[in-house]
Amino acid sequence: MQIPDQIEREVVVDAPIERVWSLITEAEYFGAWFADSGAEIDLRPGGAMTLRWEEHGTVRARVERVEPPRRFSYRWANAVDVEPSEGHSTLVEFTLSTEDAGTRVRVVESGFASLDSSDEDRRRQIDDNTEGWAIQLRNLGEQAGRTVA
Amino acid sequence: MPEHVDLFAALGDPTRREVLNILAARGEASATAIATQLPVSRPAVVKHLGVLDRAGLLEERRQGREVLFSVRPEPLESASRWLAVVASEWDRRLTALKRLAEND
Repeated sequence: MQIPDQIEREVVVDAPIERVWSLITEAEYFGAWFADSGAEIDLRPGGAMTLRWEEHGTVRARVERVEPPRRFSYRWANAVDVEPSEGHSTLVEFTLSTEDAGTRVRVVESGFASLDSSDEDRRRQIDDNTEGWAIQLRNLGEQAGRTVA
Repeated sequence: MPEHVDLFAALGDPTRREVLNILAARGEASATAIATQLPVSRPAVVKHLGVLDRAGLLEERRQGREVLFSVRPEPLESASRWLAVVASEWDRRLTALKRLAEND
């Protein structure tokens, strides 16, 4: 039986590991591919992070592990403008490894078990996420359309 | 006020996940039967069953002197759907990362 507990995702990037490490840990890049309106990263364990989205607002996070160029993890709040505290945050762990001429990026997000938001909050979050995702897909489709045209 | 037991909190404990797996495999089972398959005592199993029940994850029926438990899958399905949304968010982000890394 599949019991939902955490999520794991992977992608293989055709770029050297050092470059991928920069994109994941430097605010200038991170704020572009992860958030859409910038980020700040104090890159050391315990360091503060802020992630900004034009539509959604600012989400706070805290750096956990920094082991260049292989491991980077942070704990991020599950709502805007709150501290990434116990019960209100999930852990995101990036693991990078060299693969042929490229880099495998593995991400694990966990800690859903210790979120103490009510079911109603969670439903609202699902709705928010689904809506956000639909908007992103639409944007992506429009961009792809322009590229083809 | 009813005690609120969060679904993910219920699923967060490895023993409780084991209990669910045992119930899923057996269809239904009593607390005693579950305890024989786990390295924990029957009272501990009863406690875990209580948490799972308050999270809406169990059905129970009485048979003679025993109570038989089975899994109620609906909350798991809704949790899976939620995590599927989280996962597709990551697919989108990782695609954006890949594009940024490769286009320079």
